[in-house]
Amino acid sequence: MNAMHDVVVVGAGCAGMRAAIEAFDTGANVGVVSKLHPTRSHSGAAEGGINAALGNAAEDSPEKHAFDTVKGSDYLGDQDAIEILTNEAPGDIYQLEHWGCVFSRNDEGKLAQRPFGAAGSPRTVYSADITGHVLIHVLYEQTMKRAAQGPLRVYEEFFAWRLAIEDGRCVGVICWDLVNGGLKLVTGRSVVLATGGMGRIYRATTNAYACNGDGMAMALRAGLPLKDMEFMQFHPTTLYPSGVLITEGCRGEGGYLINRDGERFMARYAPNALELASRDVVSRSETTEIEGGRGVNGSVFLDLRHLGAERILTRLPGSRELAMTFAGVDPIYDPIPVRPGAHYHMGGVATDNWGATEVEGLYAAGEVACVSVHGANRLGGNSLMETITFGRRAGQAAAEHALATTPGAVSEAPLADAERDLRALLDRKDGERPWKIRDELGASMLENFGVFRYGERMEKQLGIINGLRERYENVVVEDKGDVFNTDLTGAIELGYMLDLAWAMVQAGIAREESRGAHSRPADFPDRDDERFLKHSITRWTDDGPELSDQEVRMTKWQPEVRSY
Amino acid sequence: MQVALKIWRFDAQKGERALKEYEIDAPGEATLLDCLDIVKDRVDGTLAYRKSCRMMICGSCGMRMDGAAVLACKTRMYEIAEAGHVPVISAMGNLPIVKDLVVDMEPFWGKIRAVSPWLEPGYVDPGEKEHVVAQTRMDVIHKESLCIMCGCCVSECNSMESDPDFLGPAALAKGMRFVGDPRDQATVERLQSYSGEHGIWDCTRCYFCQERCPKGVDPRDAIAKLGAEAMREGIDSDMGAKHAKWFVTSAKTTGWLRETELVPKTQGIAKSMKEVKFAMGLLKKGKVPPPFPPHVAKHVEEARALYDLVKHDGEQGAAGIVQGEKALGRLEHHDDGGEAAERGPYGPGSFVKPYLPGEEESAREV
Repeated sequence: MNAMHDVVVVGAGCAGMRAAIEAFDTGANVGVVSKLHPTRSHSGAAEGGINAALGNAAEDSPEKHAFDTVKGSDYLGDQDAIEILTNEAPGDIYQLEHWGCVFSRNDEGKLAQRPFGAAGSPRTVYSADITGHVLIHVLYEQTMKRAAQGPLRVYEEFFAWRLAIEDGRCVGVICWDLVNGGLKLVTGRSVVLATGGMGRIYRATTNAYACNGDGMAMALRAGLPLKDMEFMQFHPTTLYPSGVLITEGCRGEGGYLINRDGERFMARYAPNALELASRDVVSRSETTEIEGGRGVNGSVFLDLRHLGAERILTRLPGSRELAMTFAGVDPIYDPIPVRPGAHYHMGGVATDNWGATEVEGLYAAGEVACVSVHGANRLGGNSLMETITFGRRAGQAAAEHALATTPGAVSEAPLADAERDLRALLDRKDGERPWKIRDELGASMLENFGVFRYGERMEKQLGIINGLRERYENVVVEDKGDVFNTDLTGAIELGYMLDLAWAMVQAGIAREESRGAHSRPADFPDRDDERFLKHSITRWTDDGPELSDQEVRMTKWQPEVRSY
Repeated sequence: MQVALKIWRFDAQKGERALKEYEIDAPGEATLLDCLDIVKDRVDGTLAYRKSCRMMICGSCGMRMDGAAVLACKTRMYEIAEAGHVPVISAMGNLPIVKDLVVDMEPFWGKIRAVSPWLEPGYVDPGEKEHVVAQTRMDVIHKESLCIMCGCCVSECNSMESDPDFLGPAALAKGMRFVGDPRDQATVERLQSYSGEHGIWDCTRCYFCQERCPKGVDPRDAIAKLGAEAMREGIDSDMGAKHAKWFVTSAKTTGWLRETELVPKTQGIAKSMKEVKFAMGLLKKGKVPPPFPPHVAKHVEEARALYDLVKHDGEQGAAGIVQGEKALGRLEHHDDGGEAAERGPYGPGSFVKPYLPGEEESAREV
């Protein structure tokens, strides 16, 4: 079966569904390919909120939002893109509300807004602590509504494997049908990548099992440039031991971070913002406390006790449920053990402000993309907003492109190549099972490419990755069947992660400075705007990833010393 | 810890079913999902199950443990393993099995689509900004909007087992999410649609959905609210609605259920004439009381007082049913909190009070 659409969206989280909705509303015939059912996507696990300068809680403006984002990015964000985000965010939020999104309300019945890290004003719109959940369900509702009205089809549990690129144009995506088996080519005159992040490269991560960087790796292998690969955000409050996310909203509601002595240690690192400093700053502070012996079990504590039961039950019920289920701690009575964990990747497939990539017909939006609005460090609440605003823009641009062009030639050759490679993988009988390689990758990345980075450890990690890649050549898939073969897709995902880890560490070694989430306390402790106020660009070659750089687009703000 | 599991394997291509036992070594904090991962990685790579977020929000990993639906990622194994129990893991019920623990969710989603699961904004233009709605009015659907569509309720639904076309608990809870939303303008159309055949009145009130929902959505409560709203709107022509209404009338007037009148009041005179022979048989065997004189309860005034109370509360429709709000906050862990609650957040044995660096101990206030 080869399915044909005007626009094919790969991934059905917030960015993917928002792109599909906009492409459909622009008049395109839309196919959505997703390896999970749309509501299972990891956008749904976002908790704390989504940033827009509505001014419902205090005076605010898109310009203030833009400045906070630029500063948060450690001046690596592209300022024109950031201004687009902050100017268009309020309208996008109102539209979500009109679609029925169940946001929390303030005393006047307007959308409530809470304080968040490194934000000069309370501008985070939320729904208790399940904001991603209500967003993904409202987007799925709107997707179902359109599918009932016209040509919008969702291919659930279709695992996207390779981009089909012909004569420099992206013409579709080759997928493995998880439920029925078999490779299928879903073609479109435009393709939008919205496959999300890759936190699973790390052992300690908030990310779902599905977050393996599929789209980034597909793009890299197809010759597209990836931007700012060295910047992985570590979220300061991931639950010990499971690693699941405890929202920044806990600190937005007034929660404290304390060490084993009960000291609110953030006062020593960020005397003004305290617990609400930006995530890179808080994660480094926690790591310093833990490495200095002032933690317990490699963790510090998030203390909500002073908020009282009522506030915890109404504003943070999901966080309480997570703490009780996975750590046996009721935050009403006891502090929650937390530590930094891999959470969000700032880099990704390089796009312009409409989501367009270097390849004609290929677009990207959400965590897979790098516009860049987050630069070297993302502010909490900005990524959900990015999925909506840039998902919408990419959907519109992809539809306009598709409707203005004639279908390109689609040959069967890429599908035949894919079929042959797949058979080779399935036919291999002797070799190593993938899990050990996966676990070693996760542990070593955390150890050698984590919150703090050191030259020699990064070099060592490059060697480890190369060793794992060699072992991966002989990886063996035990399940040879066609039906729901997650053993096969798991092995392919591991291949994606090995490619991306290589690109990340290489870009990290080359960036000889400390900026945002990339911190080198021993050899390059300071930001170096002279040499490194620029994006890193990674391309795949036969010899591995190759690095170059790109200017940062600036509009109003010149780099300043960044403190909180 | 050592964990043993029995897993119902199913090979769709061969149509073969087998109960297989696995023994693994897992960390003490492991969940059922962690254990399945260990089995798949190290013992048998062909095992199939769905998973993604592992934090109770994506809804992928619904399955049955010892015959009852659970989220695998939410189920901690320590106590089960320590007790030496070997749980039986199987696919969810009421849905066709694709492979092992993976079910075909399409029948589930088809029913979700059948309730028009999107906001119908009507003709009122909200303007450029948000609708202004009090939080208390949104609280009505707080619980229903927590639903993660995992299918645990549908797996356990007794009514669906006998009528596969029953809309079922998840879809009806989704329906209540819109009926209770003050921004939705299709309330009457929805209530008419949900009140038809295979709709709200086909729920048998077994409460299994309420018991097995891992998120505290309590679909049965949502169905009750839909019933209350339908009655309030005068949408009561379905047999189920008439049946319910007669129960109420009967209890109000005589304090007892008058079975002989129940059938004609529910099905109508013409249809119930066909049942006369069957009814006479029941009468002969003493299975129903003679209709005359009507059987009046000794303390009928108590039944009437109860009726007045319920009627007063019921005037608010769904808002009169207060069960379940703030569901997540109360979920499973209630308010007792055990030992921790006894000592309180700062009592003896609690974690030290937080303080700012340099703050005098005597000045430490919380």
